[in-house]
Amino acid sequence: MRIAMVTPYPPSQGSLNEYAFHFIRFLRQKPEVSEIFILSDRLPDAATYPADTVAQPGLAPLHIVPCWRFGALDNALRIARTARALAPDMVLFNIQFASFGSSKPAAALGLLAPAMVRAAGLPAIVLLHNIMETVDLKSAGFGANPLVERLIRAFGAITTRVLLSADLLAVTIPRYVEILEHKYGATNVLLAPHGAFDEAPPPSFEPPPGPLQIMTFGKFGTYKKIEPLVAAFRLLLETRHDLELVIAGTDSPNAPGYLEGVRLANADLAGIRFTGYVAEEDVPRIFQDAGVVVFPYTSTTGSSGVLHQAGNYGRAVVLPRMGDLAELIAEEGYTGEFFEPDNPQSLAEALARLLDDPAQRRAMGTQNYLAACGLPMAEVVEWYILHAQNVLKIRNARRVARSRELVKR
Amino acid sequence: MALNTRALGNVSVLDLQGRFDAHIAPAVIEWYGRLPTAQVVVNLAGVTFMDSSALAALTGGMKRCRQRGGDMRLYALQQPVQVIFELTRMYRAFEIFATEAEAVASFTR
Repeated sequence: MRIAMVTPYPPSQGSLNEYAFHFIRFLRQKPEVSEIFILSDRLPDAATYPADTVAQPGLAPLHIVPCWRFGALDNALRIARTARALAPDMVLFNIQFASFGSSKPAAALGLLAPAMVRAAGLPAIVLLHNIMETVDLKSAGFGANPLVERLIRAFGAITTRVLLSADLLAVTIPRYVEILEHKYGATNVLLAPHGAFDEAPPPSFEPPPGPLQIMTFGKFGTYKKIEPLVAAFRLLLETRHDLELVIAGTDSPNAPGYLEGVRLANADLAGIRFTGYVAEEDVPRIFQDAGVVVFPYTSTTGSSGVLHQAGNYGRAVVLPRMGDLAELIAEEGYTGEFFEPDNPQSLAEALARLLDDPAQRRAMGTQNYLAACGLPMAEVVEWYILHAQNVLKIRNARRVARSRELVKR
Repeated sequence: MALNTRALGNVSVLDLQGRFDAHIAPAVIEWYGRLPTAQVVVNLAGVTFMDSSALAALTGGMKRCRQRGGDMRLYALQQPVQVIFELTRMYRAFEIFATEAEAVASFTR
């Protein structure tokens, strides 16, 4: 099977790039897959992707085809044209609502891509990491005005219907399946668990010697806001000095300059470190060095890859008491300390409960590790291949039936 | 969770009872490795709960059977298990039957 995947891909820093990296890593190993095209976004500053890789024993060849640009209005057209020219057997989309741009027109128009790919005669499976119905638009930086929010939701519903025109639409949380089936009457939605990125050996549940690190990881500035975390860190420093706050990651593409603003506003604060972009090979060390991983989210827009990573590395986690994350934890066997969103005092207390109790940190890290081991990404990829094979089987059966019909006439 | 195996001619039958989850999935996978036949029927009549690891164990087993020229058939899915198959649309990937007789007979079609 020749597969094209529409997704940001490292070194692109577009959201879901890391998910794509791991997904492709396992997809290449599947014997059913003969060739992979990554239809990725163009890199800024004329940077280039690594060269194509030829077939290696046990690995499908990989071609990176930058064919769209974050924020452009014609991405759907470009993607459909490129896919049509490559003529893969299946086109996978690894996307969320803001994958194609931070402006509403660019984001919405980009999401027409799966429908246009199908219109070009190619089968499409969409992995949608969030759905409009569960996004807190205000916290995510959209819709400060209720009327605007209602308008965005209406457009979101239209966009969802367009996305549902794909052969299959996969989501990572059971509740999303229910919402899409009930609200839209969809019959082509399925649950595909997020999957664990690494099949790492059991990690050390102890952080290294030195200051205990409180770490947060991601792309910040929209619904991941670090101001409450920094304020909580200041509160903790009033009673203890053996701490370091590590902000690992970059600005969200929708919030350029956000982290630099926070850094400047807290220039007086000792013990805070901004790592900038974390290269793939440095991810294990970042997590292993952390005593606690914090999720300073003001809203959630889907299953959290960072939570799965924290689980992979056996880390204790501190999470906001809100929608998706609490549900994901309950359904997938994770555990964490909870705080009230946007409340530094509550966050500081949750952190202190873990910082003061190494045994609890170990127990939580162990449980999260076991949860992350639940379903490796290799298995999730296997499910997608099964679904892709079924889609192709159904399409072929329809084609044969149509041909017979024509012959009869 | 109870796991029993038996043979019906060329077909290997796996009877599962109780919770089918990450704790039992490795034992099921190990069982596939020892199978003399590539035709497998899994009896899910007694399974009251199934998680994604269990489903992965079944998909892995099905793939292994198909690679060896056989297949895996399932039968007697109870409501909680059926929900998982519907949510994941895996009912499209497997051949599922109401009874053991139907599942076994399907290999001779």
